[in-house]
Amino acid sequence: VYQVFENVAKKYDVMNDSMTLGIHRVWKDILMHKMNPCPGTLLLDVAGGTGDIAFRFINYVRTVRQRQLQRKLKNHQNLSWQEIFDSYQKDQFNSLGDSQVVVCDINREMLKVGKQKAQHLGYSEGLSWVLGNAEELPFDDDKFDVYTIAFGIRNVTRIDLALQEAYRVLKPGGRFLCLEFSHVSNPLLSRLYDLYSFQVIPVLGEVIAGDWRSYQYLVESIRQFPPQEELKAMIEDAGFFKVDYENLNFGIVAIHSGFKL
Amino acid sequence: IKCQHYPPARALQASAALRRASDEHKKEPLTSSSQQHFDSPPAGHQPEQEPQGPHPSYTGQGGQESEDYESEEQLQHRILTAALEFVPEHGWTAEAIAEGAKTLGLSVAAAGMFHSDGSELILHFVSECNTKLSKLLEKEQKLVQLGEAEKKPIDEFLRDAVEARLRMLIPYIEKWPQALSVLLLPRNIPSSLNLLTSMIDDIWHYAGDQSTDFNWYTRRAVLTGIYNTTELVMMQDSSPGFEDTWRFLGNRVADAMTMSNTASQVQSTGEAVVQGLMGAAVTVSN
Repeated sequence: VYQVFENVAKKYDVMNDSMTLGIHRVWKDILMHKMNPCPGTLLLDVAGGTGDIAFRFINYVRTVRQRQLQRKLKNHQNLSWQEIFDSYQKDQFNSLGDSQVVVCDINREMLKVGKQKAQHLGYSEGLSWVLGNAEELPFDDDKFDVYTIAFGIRNVTRIDLALQEAYRVLKPGGRFLCLEFSHVSNPLLSRLYDLYSFQVIPVLGEVIAGDWRSYQYLVESIRQFPPQEELKAMIEDAGFFKVDYENLNFGIVAIHSGFKL
Repeated sequence: IKCQHYPPARALQASAALRRASDEHKKEPLTSSSQQHFDSPPAGHQPEQEPQGPHPSYTGQGGQESEDYESEEQLQHRILTAALEFVPEHGWTAEAIAEGAKTLGLSVAAAGMFHSDGSELILHFVSECNTKLSKLLEKEQKLVQLGEAEKKPIDEFLRDAVEARLRMLIPYIEKWPQALSVLLLPRNIPSSLNLLTSMIDDIWHYAGDQSTDFNWYTRRAVLTGIYNTTELVMMQDSSPGFEDTWRFLGNRVADAMTMSNTASQVQSTGEAVVQGLMGAAVTVSN
């Protein structure tokens, strides 16, 4: 797995766009909407190497925070100018409202690309980059509000261990969110999808990234991944409650959600 | 209405720890719902049990669980109840629910269990208010049965019941229009309609057999009309202590009584007319 991602790291984003025809951005946006984080949330994004989810999280929280501040200002109509000024000062340096995201990945190359992207796009505060293995996270218990793993869990060898670790590091009430390729139940669509996956994607891999084999591996790992219901059962086994999934695009991708209660 | 599924038999061990912690600063609102059923946690605190309400409400039964833990439903209840105190500040939103979860020691992400428009919070609040009203009416009825109070005439009874119920909105009155609009969303209409009709039925039930010649549907419709219009008037009322609203309510109830009297008068007049005609017909035929 490490080798695959070493090769893939630099061209990861480009490949994502071409493989999924850009829809992966929509999927990740939907994931963020589902999460609906409020300012002050601590997010752990596992296998989030190039930072897509992390950046979206920061954007979302920033917007929510701005709206919050606007609402507070509207309610300030009875205060003196001095009081308004003071509270504005305090809030201005807190544009994220203490929200933070920790991006954890097993692969140093992916993290490097992520850090570069962050710098390039101008994300400076609220981000941390940590090297770590999803099956054995280098964090304490009960630390995070939300744990996300977007398109990463199928690359984990022992999914049950990763789920257990997710349970461990989440605070009580915390949420587990998993965005992953899944099984298409519609037979017609399933055939088209198979055709696309096995014929088109490795070719794209060769053309764009110069690596046929890694993308062959990717496509096969998608097929081998447990279907929605099975993954739901595994998440429940790890101790999560209110486990549910939402199919996007008829099951090409699914978002699983569970709570540590 | 959502079907309540009974959760698998597993302990919410996190919540047991939370309850031990929250027992230290127990707040009134947490124990107000009659649907909650706190089982004794292993740490040996006093169990708090409250009887189930006399009428079914939105959330249904708490479910049968074994002794040591509470179900997801009960936890959700507690979160929503805790969230109510943040409504005046944040409105009926996921933010209020997140703040509520925080006070219970849970992560703010727990608000993700609910819809992001705050529907469940509003429905929970309405159901709680209805339960409170039921209990109030039941208490009054007991007093009457024990002979310690006079039985109220029907118009006074209705007026007092609607006023009591509407007064429960006062702490949240600023954000209540927002709540009303959410309750009218197509998705929420079955539940909100159900809650409304069960509350109206409740009031008529405790009004007892003083009901006049109305038939059952008319009674429901009339009182629903009175309640809804008074609620809307209350939204825009800026008089001290909402006296304009209560006056409006009194007038509407009086109207309803007059209407019923008129209806029965019309009916008896009609009968008299028919009898007169019959008599005339008999006379003529003879």
